[in-house]
Amino acid sequence: MKINIIRKVLEVNDRLADEIREKTNLYKTLVVNIMSSPGSGKTSILEKILPLLTEKGYNVGVIEGDIATIKDAQRISNKNIPVTQINTDKFGGDCHLGSEVILPALETFDLEKMDIVIIENVGNLVCPAEFDTGSDYNIVVISTTEGEDKPLKYPLMFRVCQFGIINKIDLLPYLDFDISELKTNINKINPNMEIVESSAKTVDGIEKIINWFENHLK
Amino acid sequence: MHELSIANNIVTIVEEEYKKLDCNGMVQKVYFNTGRMNAIIPDSLKFGFNTIKQNKVFLKEAELIIIESPIILKCKKCNIEKEIDEPFFICEKCGSTNIEVISGMEMYIDSIEVDDNCN
Repeated sequence: MKINIIRKVLEVNDRLADEIREKTNLYKTLVVNIMSSPGSGKTSILEKILPLLTEKGYNVGVIEGDIATIKDAQRISNKNIPVTQINTDKFGGDCHLGSEVILPALETFDLEKMDIVIIENVGNLVCPAEFDTGSDYNIVVISTTEGEDKPLKYPLMFRVCQFGIINKIDLLPYLDFDISELKTNINKINPNMEIVESSAKTVDGIEKIINWFENHLK
Repeated sequence: MHELSIANNIVTIVEEEYKKLDCNGMVQKVYFNTGRMNAIIPDSLKFGFNTIKQNKVFLKEAELIIIESPIILKCKKCNIEKEIDEPFFICEKCGSTNIEVISGMEMYIDSIEVDDNCN
């Protein structure tokens, strides 16, 4: 006997994500979820933008997701930024952050005072794209050492992000990397994505990232 | 390995629905529908499902059947619908970037088959 069900597999995650947005809308806290493959420079970019956002008077908090270690959280907290670490190995070594771990992490901040909360997701271009974190916007970081075809290989990731940061442009003179091909490929997947080029090392483009945040405050 | 989380969610939902049935039969089949955009590896998902199902008596014999739905785009400007094989989210006809993905992102349990008559 066949029984029809028709239930979304990620319904619990999606419901909690909506709850997070309701909550953060109430407090006018902008929540941004940053994703990328491992080593493209998420934490290095944060190390550059966090002090600048603080200088401008914004209260910023960071939720750090990693499978293991608190190394990234330490790097952020060295900048005197409140940071909450989520290690997914406690949840079975998950490759992504689901809304069920974001909600309690958000509650560690005084949201009434927070202007911005940045989620640094687990480094991975597949799984995190699938799970709504309750963020208002998704950012993807891709670095010049990764290959121009990444958007075509991971279309969902580039489809769910509204803002793209092409990092490590300081390395361009030493690489056979065609940045216009990368942009063409991003365009094929998500023609509406806003893109900036940056280097966390030379701080090129960092100001543009700050502008993006300021333009999207609630 | 998002397949393991997804397999876990499948088992949770099937268990909830099974309990509503007031039935002693064994679940034989679980039909799961996923869009191509989700990049799910069928073998990994089945492996996860087959591991977790061992903890549930009613599910021990169940086979997970994965139905993959194609990626279909609809141009909001010229209303044309097209199935795509290569990732290219711009309307081929009018060049518009105002595209809606009408199939290929979904992920749901369609139905289950149980080997006994239920109330």
